[in-house]
Amino acid sequence: MKSKILALTAGLLAATALASVPAKADVKIGLIGGVSGPIAAMAPAMISAAELAISQVNAQGGMMDGEQLVGVVGDSQCNPQGGTDAATKAVNIEGVVGMVGPHCSGAVLAASASVTVPAGIVMVTPSGTSPEITNIEDNDLVFRTVPSDDYQGRALARTLIEQGYGKVAVAYINNDYGTGLAQAFRAEFEAQGGEIAGFAAHEEGKASYRSNLADLASGGANTLVLFDYGDGTGLTMLRQALENGFFETFIGGDGMKSNAPINELGAENLSTFFASAPVGEASNSLETFNAAFTEAGGDPDAIFVTTAYDAAFMLALALEKAGGDKEGVSAALREISNGEGEPILPGEWAKAKELIAAGTAIDYKGAAGDHNFDENGDVPGTFAFFKVGNDGFEVVTQMK
Amino acid sequence: MEFIGLVNYALFMGIFIAIYALLALGLNIQWGFAGLFNAGIAGFFAVGAYTSAIITSAAADGRIGGFELPFLVGWAGAMVAAGLIAWPIGKICLRFRSDYLAIATIGVAEIIRLVIKSEEALTNSARGITGLPRPFGDLPYVESQAAFLLLMIAILFVAYLLVERQFNSPWGRMMRAIRDNELAARAMGKDVEYRRLQAFIFGAALMGLGGALFAHFNRSITPEAIDPMVATFLVWIMLILGGAGNNRGAILGAAVVWIIWSVSEIATDQLPHEYAVKAKYIRLFLIGLLLQLVLRFRPEGLLPEPLRGDQGASRREPKSSARV
Repeated sequence: MKSKILALTAGLLAATALASVPAKADVKIGLIGGVSGPIAAMAPAMISAAELAISQVNAQGGMMDGEQLVGVVGDSQCNPQGGTDAATKAVNIEGVVGMVGPHCSGAVLAASASVTVPAGIVMVTPSGTSPEITNIEDNDLVFRTVPSDDYQGRALARTLIEQGYGKVAVAYINNDYGTGLAQAFRAEFEAQGGEIAGFAAHEEGKASYRSNLADLASGGANTLVLFDYGDGTGLTMLRQALENGFFETFIGGDGMKSNAPINELGAENLSTFFASAPVGEASNSLETFNAAFTEAGGDPDAIFVTTAYDAAFMLALALEKAGGDKEGVSAALREISNGEGEPILPGEWAKAKELIAAGTAIDYKGAAGDHNFDENGDVPGTFAFFKVGNDGFEVVTQMK
Repeated sequence: MEFIGLVNYALFMGIFIAIYALLALGLNIQWGFAGLFNAGIAGFFAVGAYTSAIITSAAADGRIGGFELPFLVGWAGAMVAAGLIAWPIGKICLRFRSDYLAIATIGVAEIIRLVIKSEEALTNSARGITGLPRPFGDLPYVESQAAFLLLMIAILFVAYLLVERQFNSPWGRMMRAIRDNELAARAMGKDVEYRRLQAFIFGAALMGLGGALFAHFNRSITPEAIDPMVATFLVWIMLILGGAGNNRGAILGAAVVWIIWSVSEIATDQLPHEYAVKAKYIRLFLIGLLLQLVLRFRPEGLLPEPLRGDQGASRREPKSSARV
C-alpha cells in the first residue's frame, strides 16, 4: 500500500510539474481571492478589476522589455486553510513575484505568516480590513489598499460629533469588518463625549431584524449607525427600520455606500441616510477607473473593486521599478506612491513606464485613494461623508 | 517553477495532511470505534485552537490571557479543554443515535463558532488572536517548514501508536461490541453510556490538538477557520474514503483527499483563462463526486477495518454499507 501512496503522490506531483511550465519571461502575480466561500458574490468582480489593471499593462507595452504580466487566480475560500494553500501554490508552483489578496482578513493573517513573509513575497490585500493586519511582523512585506477599519470608524465618529449627533445606536454585522468598525467607532465616539445608546452585533442572512432593531431603539437614540453591506443584510435592516419607524436617521460605513438601497428603497425615502466611504483626493482617478471598468464589462459600484484595481496596478508599477525581481518590490511599492513625484492616474501605464525608465519619481493616485503607505503598510485613507441625492450619492463633507 | 518550490509545496501539503490526519484519527475513535456520528468536528477543532492561542499568545488588553507559556503547554491545554468541553456535550447528546446525534453535534459546533465570534473578552471576537509562537518559526522558509513537518510527523506517529494500541486492547474490542450490538454489550454488563462518552472525549481531545497545531502553524486563529466545509465535512470524507475503523486508513484518507483537494486547483488552472474563476467551483464538485464513488463502489474505504480471529476469513465482504 505504501508504494501505492508514493506512486500516487509522485504521479500527482509529476502531473503538476508537467502541467505548469510557464511561458518564458512572463512576470506573474497572484490574484488570491475568496472565489468559493462566504464572499463568493464579491470576489469575481474584485478579480476582474485586478485583471483590468493587468490587461492595461500588457496593452501599453507590458513589463520591462515587453514581457507579459500574468495574473494567477487562486481560491482562498475566505478561510485560513484555503488562503495558505492557494498562496503556497502561487508562490512555489507558479512562481509569482507579488500577490494581490487574499481577500479576507483571516486568510491574510495566515497566508502572510506561513507563506509570503517567509518566502519574501510582497502581498497587497484589497479588502483585508482587520486592525490585526497592522500588527503583523511582516519585514515590510504586507500592504493594503483598503484602510483599516480603525481609521474609518474613528473618522466617522469625529464627523458625527461635528455634525451634532450626540446620541446614537450602533448595529454591526458580526464579522471582522463590522466588529472592527464598530469598536473603533465606539471608542472614538465616547472619547469625544458622545453617547452610545445601543450597541449590538447581528448575524447575516436572517429574514427579520425587527427584534434587533427594537432592542437598539429602546435605548432612546433616534440615529442608527449601521456597519453592514448595503447589498445584503444592511439593506434588510435599513428597510425594516424605515418600515417600522424605529429610527429617524441612518448612518452607514463604506459597505453601505452601495446603490442597492437607492435602487430598492428609492432615493426619496433615503433623505435621512448618510454613508462614509474612502475617496481619492485626485477625484478624476475614480472617474477614469469607472469608465475603464465599465467598458471592460464590470460594475464599478461593486464593493472593493477600486481597491483591487489599485492593488494590482501598484504592484505592477513596483515590479517595473524593481526590475521584475521580488527583492526590492516592497521598497519600490513605497516609492511609487509616497506623495512626491509626477502623478499617475489609473490606466496610465505607458506614461509611468517611461518615467520609471527615465528615473523620474512617480506618485500613483488611485481610484480608491492616494495610497501613501504608513510604516505598517496601511493607508490612512481619505473619507468623505455622503448623502443620497437625486443622482445617487453626493458628498456632504470631507472627513478628518 | 523551481525544484525548491516543489519541495516547499510538498512540505506544506505534508503539514496539512498531518494536521488533518489527527482530526481524522480523532473522528475514527468516535465513528470508527464507537459508531458516534459526530458532525461537529469544527467545534472541537476551534476549542483546541483558541485554548492554545490564549495560553501561548502575548498579553493583550480587553481579553483574558495572553499567558505567553510555551507552545507545548498550549497544545496540552488544547487537548484538555477540548476533552472538557466534550464531556457535558457528550452527556447530553450521546443519548441520541446516528442522524439525531449528527444534528445535535452540528448545532453544538455552530454554538461554539458563534460564541467564539461574539465573545470579545474570551477570543477577541471576529478579529481573532494573532502573534502565536510557531515552533521553528525563526528559520528560513524551507527549513522552517521541514522542521515543523518533522514535529508534526512525530506527534502524528505517537498519536497513531496510542490509538492503535487502544483499538487492539480489550477496550477497543468492547467499543466495537457496543457499536455493532449495543443490547448484547449491555447484557454482558458493559456500561454503554460511560464507554461511549469516553470515546467521544478521547476523539475530541485529538481534534483539539489538531486545531492547536493548525493555529500555531499559521501563527493566528480567526473564526473564519471554523468553516464546517473544511473543518468538518472534509474530515468526514477523509475518514470514509480512507476506511472507517482503520487508523492507517484515516491517515491515508487524509493524505489522498487533501492532495486531490489541493492539486485539483493546479489542474483546473490549466483551463483557458476565462474559465479560471469558474473552474474553482469544480473542486467542490470533485470532492462530492469522490465521496459518491467511494460510497457506491467501496463503502468500506481504501483500507477496510481489520477483522481478527476466525471471523476474518468469513467476513471479507464489506461489513454493511448501511453504516455509512
